[in-house]
Amino acid sequence: MDAPSTPIPSGIEGALDVTPQTRPRATYLEVLHDWIVTVDHKKIGLLYIGFALIFMVVAGLEAMAIRIQLAVPHNSFLDARSYNRMFTMHGTTMVFLVGMPILFGFGNYLVPLMIGARDMAFPRLNAFSFWVSAFAGIFLYFSFIGGLGLAGAGTAPDIAWFAYAPLTERPFSPGHNVDYWALALLASGIGSIGTAINILATVFCMRCPGMTLSRIPLLAWIYATVSFLVLVAVSPLTAAQVMLLIDRYLGGHFFDTQAGGSAILWAHFFWIFGHPEVYVLVLPAFGFANEIIPVFSRKAIFGYPAMVAATVGIAFISLGVWAHHMFTIGMTSFGNTFFTLSTMLVSIPTGIKTFNWLATMWGGKLRFATPMLFSVGFLFQWVIAGLTGIMLSVSPWNWQLHNSYFVVAHFHYVLVGAILFMIFAAFYYWYPKMTGRMLSERLGKWHFWLMIVGFHLTFDVMHIPGLLGMPRQIYTYEPDRGWTLLNQIVTFGAVIQAVAMAIFVYNLVHSYFAGKAAGPDPWDAWTLEWSTPSPPPAYNFPVDPVVASRRPLWDLKHPEDPDSAFE
Amino acid sequence: MSTIPLQHESLAATWRLPSRGRIGMASLIVAESAIFTIFVVAYIYYMGRDVSGPKPHDVLEVPVFGTICLLSSSFFIWLAEHAIAHGNMRSFRIWWAITFLLGAIFLGTTAQEWHKLITVDHLTVSTNLFGTTYYSLVGLHATHVAVGLILLLTVLLFALAGKVQTRHSERVQVLALYWHFVDAVWVVVFTLVYLVSR
Amino acid sequence: MNDTHTSPPHHSHEIHTGTVHLPAPTAWPILLALGVMLLVGSLVMSLWIAALGAFLLVVSAVGWFREVLPHEKHVDVPVQHEIAEIEPSRAGVARIEVDETHRAQLPLETFPISAGIKGGIAGGIVMLIPAEIYGLLRYHSLWYVVNLLGGAGVAGWANPTPEQLTHFRLGAFITANIIQGATTLLVGVLYGALLPVWPRRPILLGGIVAPVLWTGLLHNVLGIVNPYLQQNIDWWSFAASQVVFGVVAGYVVSRTGNLRRLHQAPLAIRLGVESPGLAGHKTEEDDRQ
Repeated sequence: MDAPSTPIPSGIEGALDVTPQTRPRATYLEVLHDWIVTVDHKKIGLLYIGFALIFMVVAGLEAMAIRIQLAVPHNSFLDARSYNRMFTMHGTTMVFLVGMPILFGFGNYLVPLMIGARDMAFPRLNAFSFWVSAFAGIFLYFSFIGGLGLAGAGTAPDIAWFAYAPLTERPFSPGHNVDYWALALLASGIGSIGTAINILATVFCMRCPGMTLSRIPLLAWIYATVSFLVLVAVSPLTAAQVMLLIDRYLGGHFFDTQAGGSAILWAHFFWIFGHPEVYVLVLPAFGFANEIIPVFSRKAIFGYPAMVAATVGIAFISLGVWAHHMFTIGMTSFGNTFFTLSTMLVSIPTGIKTFNWLATMWGGKLRFATPMLFSVGFLFQWVIAGLTGIMLSVSPWNWQLHNSYFVVAHFHYVLVGAILFMIFAAFYYWYPKMTGRMLSERLGKWHFWLMIVGFHLTFDVMHIPGLLGMPRQIYTYEPDRGWTLLNQIVTFGAVIQAVAMAIFVYNLVHSYFAGKAAGPDPWDAWTLEWSTPSPPPAYNFPVDPVVASRRPLWDLKHPEDPDSAFE
Repeated sequence: MSTIPLQHESLAATWRLPSRGRIGMASLIVAESAIFTIFVVAYIYYMGRDVSGPKPHDVLEVPVFGTICLLSSSFFIWLAEHAIAHGNMRSFRIWWAITFLLGAIFLGTTAQEWHKLITVDHLTVSTNLFGTTYYSLVGLHATHVAVGLILLLTVLLFALAGKVQTRHSERVQVLALYWHFVDAVWVVVFTLVYLVSR
Repeated sequence: MNDTHTSPPHHSHEIHTGTVHLPAPTAWPILLALGVMLLVGSLVMSLWIAALGAFLLVVSAVGWFREVLPHEKHVDVPVQHEIAEIEPSRAGVARIEVDETHRAQLPLETFPISAGIKGGIAGGIVMLIPAEIYGLLRYHSLWYVVNLLGGAGVAGWANPTPEQLTHFRLGAFITANIIQGATTLLVGVLYGALLPVWPRRPILLGGIVAPVLWTGLLHNVLGIVNPYLQQNIDWWSFAASQVVFGVVAGYVVSRTGNLRRLHQAPLAIRLGVESPGLAGHKTEEDDRQ
């Protein structure tokens, strides 16, 4: 904050990377070996992203199965048990095998580049964390065929993603399906904590000269905050999984209600993890917006310190709101009041962020390339998701609508409308850096417009059956409830989104081979990753960069008017 | 063309950053504290809720000797840190060995206590809520002590072979940070299990 | 990670070569991960898997250890670069025309954080007086107000009677202290950040208007959130203690840090946020010198 104002540099210099880029031809086996033994943060980041994309398609197909089943009353596309498995695996996969890995992937790739480092602080730990998460994902899906699998159905978990006790105890869930769920999350938790430690150490210890904490890109600030949240939020989940396993394997009584154990304690432990987890997922999306919106508005981000304070504030408040998931379990009226008010408090820092993004765009020279389109969609949908969140935070309203499709619509508005949209924006923005090729803008526009139409058809309409009383997690419903048409519209919207996803995947593959060459800096951006060739070489920077402002490449491009003169 | 900004060359000379080992260990300690907090909360929540015995005050004895050993080991590891930072390798080896021994004695007393609880008092994880919460909380801490002992032993063996030098002082301090944390957790666990709930 | 590259001389178009240390690729992390997963997964599989997992775990842990000790393994990558003078890519930069002050200013002076903390503590203590006076006069109990604030900490208090509220409860006492402490500290710090922003009469706005506003907001919100609690709060004494807090905290904050008012600067600067793109050629730096 009080960095001494540095004099305007007399002549701005840059180092041009002229290392000859000769690539020896390698066999497929050699390439595979390279990727398996790599400790390079960029390759590990790409592994994370690729792994998450595969699971995104899998979990998307599960969502389609759910929507097909609900399209007509008394449908027999899925039976009740398979339906339970579908929504359990859809939720678990999307949160633990898609959301966290994809965000960690971008973090791994971008954070060292943005702060001018050559690698993460602990490169080997980084590889370990990824592989543990990857094996955990494979292990979770092995449950479909593994163990004491029943014919066709397997033993996939069917306990919903929050796995409330005592359903998860041995007497109610014999067999191994709960064990698969708990063990997979335990292992992926180890990976998440490892990566979080790594990102924190990277942001604090690997910055290039001049990159003070008040100059690091907001994305790096956000990843540091998210990593802290992961440390204090995922660890309780790990502890709770250990307790569950003690119950199931050693005959413990933590959540065994017949021996005095408490089912509510599990709910508390789960949501102490579960609510900060939402912010673990959404904060990186904010981080992408912090980088993309300024570049496409041609203005520096508005209110950098306020943005940092809001980020830290969100993380802080998010640790004290978990019981708003539990209003219907029953609390004292004081408890209800506390958690309602603390939940409403979240809207202050998020409001600061929203206004700062708008202020960044205000008066800027907007370029509506695909990343910006997705960012604008994100802004709009994030506000609506926040408003339904405030509605749900009021306990009497929550008593009416808890576990209805209103809640499902609300959190999908956050997860899809905000987070997934920003992940798409990040793909369009950084794909050129990662591969050296631009994604097709034409396909990107198709993707965006189909996605926005499909999204609003699905999730706007989904609020209504919730208001009409349709509970979540039911595998079918009676035709006389008046939910049929609404569900059909929702399913129709889901199909449109599936088409948009297919276009996106096609775009990713097609552009890799046939896309326009990107060059090092296709968007005329300002952060350090754009000072490297695309894709960046293994060593990132031939010499350590030295920076004097928040926008080092702006200084380089505009020596007549550098930011460093004003810090 | 990709160009890297190189302004203010002079800045590079004075640029100082915190050690990644320390930050990494501090982050690990934050995560571990969260795990312990959950187990402690569960212990408090289930305190006195048992429908059947044995109860804590019937079977638990305050492990004064083990506690003194573990807590004093924190002091000896601090002496060892001090010694290695000043290049005094002989006293480093001695203090480090004492630390290891004290930790091992503590683990021994815990094993003895568990042996007594299981064979004499017939208290196991599945007996009642007290058994479940007691074994998991104390066991979690004992696991951390065991991991710490393995690390201490590794350093001790290398030190006896003469492979640990003053330039490893930083890494030794990071390890010592973990050991201090394990000791600090014991203060909480000890107070809760043996003083408050008994 | 250490760059052994020598310092670049100041000539253009001269190619410098150097080497970069990168951590060497290694297969131990993936093997260790596989070992951990097999060990964890063996709970639903068989003991053989556990044995294999444990074996992999030990072998790869040792392998990893030898990878980083006594020295981390490196590969050296040769790199070349040249020093280049950068030409602006575009002729000029368009500016939004706003008068008086330039862009990208941080606040010249704010109160130190300690001022906010002191103010928060002082206000938080003094505001107890009107609240407790009310509790003593109306219910003859020190604990009534404490219980109202900290009732969330008592399990099983669905709708306690005023009689119950007059007795000491440890849970409520602890919770009330946490809530009171955290809130007053945060608002105190917020005062430290915000008071320089208010154009004039900070005590009036920060001490009286703001507390009255948030009391009103709370009064309305609580009617929806918890009507029962709303009835049990005496809003006049509540407002009085908020105002006392505001005045004391604001006074302590502005006494502790002595700084010039920034009323001549635009709002964005006073808020401590940058306003990049604002044009003009006079900076606050210039003003000061």
